[in-house]
Amino acid sequence: MVFESVNVGDALPPLAKGPLTSAHLMRWSAAMENWHKIHYDKPFAMEHDKLPGILVNGTLKQQFIMQFLRDWAGDDGWVWKVSFQFRAMNVEGETLRMWGKVAAKREAPAYGLVDLELGIVNDQDKESTPGTAVVALPYRNGKPVPYPFVPPA
Amino acid sequence: MTPEIERLIGAASGTEAACDAVEPGAVRRYVQAYMDDSPMFHAPDDARRARYGGPVAPPLFPMNMFRRPFGTPDPFAEHAGNAHFDGIVGSTAQGLPPLPLPKGTGLLNAGTEVEVYRYARHGETVTARSRYASITEKESSKGPMLLVVIETEYRTGAGELLLRVKKTQIRR
Repeated sequence: MVFESVNVGDALPPLAKGPLTSAHLMRWSAAMENWHKIHYDKPFAMEHDKLPGILVNGTLKQQFIMQFLRDWAGDDGWVWKVSFQFRAMNVEGETLRMWGKVAAKREAPAYGLVDLELGIVNDQDKESTPGTAVVALPYRNGKPVPYPFVPPA
Repeated sequence: MTPEIERLIGAASGTEAACDAVEPGAVRRYVQAYMDDSPMFHAPDDARRARYGGPVAPPLFPMNMFRRPFGTPDPFAEHAGNAHFDGIVGSTAQGLPPLPLPKGTGLLNAGTEVEVYRYARHGETVTARSRYASITEKESSKGPMLLVVIETEYRTGAGELLLRVKKTQIRR
């Protein structure tokens, strides 16, 4: 992916994960060593905490977004900034779809910067995790974005 | 907002070291759990990503490296027999002095911003240092609330910046 090939309004190729079963959520909780019961103990989540089901971890949704952006930026680009807001719950059984759209482009001396709007929708197209990102992309015939990343002056 | 809380703006934690280095097994369980099989996480001779200097961990992995070290008390033990125990253990204050707020003040995570500079390579150690970047009082429909921004920098043991994270908490 190069800066010149991106246009404002472009949609990023979507990434889907799911349906997310209780096994997926248990596996993520164990990998994180996060023992909050609302992510794997259904009676506790529903009867004690009055939730609609066991919840998909916010940290899992963050990984999905980071992977989605990295896949788009490619090996010569760099996912610099990402902001996430957890506005709605996602529960066991849902399939999550990450989406992104190019909002603006800016030129820096060594690379271009692309501002993105992004989010995560479920099977009902309900948004749960709106956010933004700034991705650095190399210029056509330019050098790869520096690694470690050096922000524009 | 009280003078005691205002004085904590800018207060920083010490530099904390993660109890384990970046372990290949921990990276494997992590990437398998979020279903990302990129060779960057395991292939030692991944020529397309040679600039990373070897297999790496995912960008946000350092945030999850601060776990219970060997030789520390089991936090579940004190909750044995408590049917209301929700499983949450550890601190939400990132090593910072807690805000002197009335007991029962709620905490909501309003959002997270990350800036990524470099990936942690397998075998590297990671440190974290946090500070209260800002604490501001706002009026909401449910009364006054505090917006607390905690900024944490994650670095390698050699001091190279990996990740800067700003978490905004609502306290009311």
